[in-house]
Amino acid sequence: MRKVIEFTRIRFFMIAVSVIVIIAGLTSTVLQQGFNLGIDFQAGSSQRVEISAPATVEQVRAALEGLPGILVQTVGGEEQQQFSIRVRDTGAIEDFSSVMPDRVISQLEAQFGSGTVEELESAYVGPRFAGDLAGQAAMLTSLALALILMYLWFRFRLGYAVAAIATLVHDVLFMLGFIGALQLEVSTATIAAVLTIVGYSLNDTIVIFDRIRENETLLRDAPFSTIINTSITQSLSRTLITSATTMLAVLAIFIFATGTIQDFALNLMVGIVVGTYSSIFIASPTLLGWHRRQRARSKKKQMEKYGRAAAAEPAKRPESAAADVPAPAAAAVSGEPQPVTVPDAETVKRELAQRKQQSAGKNVPRSKRKKKK
Amino acid sequence: MSKRVRLLTVLVLIIIGGFFVWPTVNWYFLLSPQEQELARLSRTQVREYAQDQARTTLLELRELSTESPQSELPEEYRFLIDTARENYRLEERDLPSTWVVRDVLAGFRSEREAFEAIESHHRDRIQQLQSIRDRIIQLGLDLSGGVNVVLEADRASLAERLGEDPTQEQMDEAVSLALEILSNRIDRFGITEPQIRRMDQARISIEIPGDDDRERVDSFLMGRGSLNFHIVDDEATAELAQLQQQQPGWSPEVDGVPDFVPAGSRIAEYVTRDQYGIDQFVRYIVIREDVSEHGLPGQHITEAQVGRDPLTNRPLVNFVLDGEGTRRFSVLTRDNVGSSMAIVMDDRVRAYATIQEEIPTGQVRISGFDQDQAQNIARVLRTAALPIDLNVLNQQTVGAQLGAETIQAGLRAIALGFALVMIFMVIYYKGAGIIADLVLTLNLFFIVSILSVFNLTLTLTSIAGVILTVGMAVDANVIIFERIKEEYRLGKSPQAAVRAGFDKAFWTVMDANITTFIAAVFLSQLGSGPIQGFAVTLSVGIVSSMFTALFVSRLVFDFSTEVLRRSKLSIAWGL
Repeated sequence: MRKVIEFTRIRFFMIAVSVIVIIAGLTSTVLQQGFNLGIDFQAGSSQRVEISAPATVEQVRAALEGLPGILVQTVGGEEQQQFSIRVRDTGAIEDFSSVMPDRVISQLEAQFGSGTVEELESAYVGPRFAGDLAGQAAMLTSLALALILMYLWFRFRLGYAVAAIATLVHDVLFMLGFIGALQLEVSTATIAAVLTIVGYSLNDTIVIFDRIRENETLLRDAPFSTIINTSITQSLSRTLITSATTMLAVLAIFIFATGTIQDFALNLMVGIVVGTYSSIFIASPTLLGWHRRQRARSKKKQMEKYGRAAAAEPAKRPESAAADVPAPAAAAVSGEPQPVTVPDAETVKRELAQRKQQSAGKNVPRSKRKKKK
Repeated sequence: MSKRVRLLTVLVLIIIGGFFVWPTVNWYFLLSPQEQELARLSRTQVREYAQDQARTTLLELRELSTESPQSELPEEYRFLIDTARENYRLEERDLPSTWVVRDVLAGFRSEREAFEAIESHHRDRIQQLQSIRDRIIQLGLDLSGGVNVVLEADRASLAERLGEDPTQEQMDEAVSLALEILSNRIDRFGITEPQIRRMDQARISIEIPGDDDRERVDSFLMGRGSLNFHIVDDEATAELAQLQQQQPGWSPEVDGVPDFVPAGSRIAEYVTRDQYGIDQFVRYIVIREDVSEHGLPGQHITEAQVGRDPLTNRPLVNFVLDGEGTRRFSVLTRDNVGSSMAIVMDDRVRAYATIQEEIPTGQVRISGFDQDQAQNIARVLRTAALPIDLNVLNQQTVGAQLGAETIQAGLRAIALGFALVMIFMVIYYKGAGIIADLVLTLNLFFIVSILSVFNLTLTLTSIAGVILTVGMAVDANVIIFERIKEEYRLGKSPQAAVRAGFDKAFWTVMDANITTFIAAVFLSQLGSGPIQGFAVTLSVGIVSSMFTALFVSRLVFDFSTEVLRRSKLSIAWGL
């Protein structure tokens, strides 16, 4: 019914695009002195001031607008007129710990009148996340990846597991490159966003893999690339609808929210696009590549074992033999049409379904009888 | 499983969920600001408030009874009737037909009794409010602020532990370690999202969402070293008891240490907890000072579990000692059969009891703590001991980190996003879309109720995260619906299409979710607030969305195809 779209034809092109974008993103991050770390990850000044003129927390925030990573909170009751002010040390200002507190006071005095601002306390505070967060995260992440690998190996095959992990790594690198290149502020919300995308992309990839596995038995005689393309096409509507609904929710947040939560939404939007893209153009080609290498290796083993006699064997299945020869990368990128002798997936499925119904024919009347009771 | 059993399962789960969500709804939407204020009182303040109320109430009632004894009892004091009626029954007096002021007061033998009845009424009410407060979803630092505590590391305590004046490096290391231990103690489940920072050299700033609660802060700071077993000097204690009887109000600070207290022993306060949970001084007793000779230091305790005495239903703490501790405790109890042993926490004796026989197993069971205290001991013992003592320099409430407008805009946007998803589903999937929306709402409800059990702290980001989890839960529905559509297109009956669709989608949904779940569970081990919190939310969301999508929505579909015998599926346009 539906035409099978040849997704795998442009796989080398897509992989090349991904690699280039990731490298560009990460290079740009490095060139801009790394990530733009938010107040959660960086040290800064922390002051407590009392303002004798009437001031609300909004007014204080407005007066300090423009300082990096500014955070203003009321301290004690409203009537106390005490505020806690935190400013992030970006490293751009020399002698930060002595310059910044004075600047904060002078900006406040400009707003509320000189002599009205009393500094109660001033200190240089460390980041919220001290210690070995990165090391711990790396260890746990690799453990988690190993476990995912094992689960997928057990439920699918090793090739699927490797492809899923490769996709995951792709997504994370892509997101990091994006965040770094645009110098979006890295806050706890950013971490949450990247983690959400990891889950989302993994979900997306597995759903397509599940279809591929199912079609492997349904379309036993078709070449693997056809199985992949059929599967992606069949699950395409689901992929798009899920992406669309999630995007709808996030888009609303992006448009109407402000500040951190808006950044959070932006990260998610990029992540959703990347996650969807990668499950189609990165996961499946990796699986295809792995599959072909395995085939080639087992064939080579057979050749060594049985000599020339075994070499003639693949000739019995000309269809799959044609696909088994890795197509040269240039040909695929230029889009030269390959001879596709694909059995229409729907027809095959319908036939199989009919056969299944026939074989299950005995059950049908029974269930009908049950229903009449 | 038959449909009836499945329906029952869903209903039971909804009721359980409602039970957990109820305190949160009650707190944020139903309780008045005055009642919320009452729940925030500290234990001492609660006592003051309740006794104050009792005094004024009693005064008013007394006046009323002299002025117009036949007037009816005012509405706000009607709670007294229950106790009065009980007393009438006990004394086998006739119950009055209408409860007028005099009758009610006559129901109490003394003013003291009436006072206690009124006091306990107010105390119970506040404690009930406080127990509601303990079971609600908290708002995070960004949304509603919290408490800021500045701590200072005590250099002397480290010097004592090391046996020499610490170098700058050692001091640094100790403070960093204390920082790490503190964040683990505060964030056991990773959902409190505290902000802990190092200030200058020896100071630590902690910000925790929630109310300014001295006792809560203290429970984080308590160290393991402050719990020891001491042998009681029974002779001196007996003499001291006599002295205290002769001179009420005797105190060692004022009157000095008496001569009969031998060297190597010291006087310690014995305290119990009253009904408000406040330490109540009982008397002074004399304990042997040297822990290593006549006692056991707390570091030999490896485990502490909270249990209940099956007979009295009072909280018990079961201590498990390490090998060295077991040996020493065995010797200690053998040599001191007939004497008493005291549990000394923070230099105050919490409990003491006579040693009946040798305890050779290393398992010690002690009562005399209340539930809170027992939980605190257990928690502190489970996490590592602080390497350095920390003193509170300053403790204050702080306001929300985000402006009110930002919060409003964020919440509105999140609600809008959720609504858009729901509308889209109905437009795209027609009837089935309504089922999906129903299931999604139920999913949100389950997530919130499970998170209430964990006492989740809600930040703006975590709200967005929850909504996104719910949005992603759409995916399970989409997978199933697309499958049903495929089967339906093949010409199957609605019933068969639904069954085949669910069966084929089942493992797809399971595989996809289980892999994500693995990742989430690992991330929840990461020792840092927001990541852990997010991972917990995600895992809860996955479990809940699998249940709602595979179980609940199947039930609704089966209901419509099998019970209502709908001949057509409303799942797509042009089908």
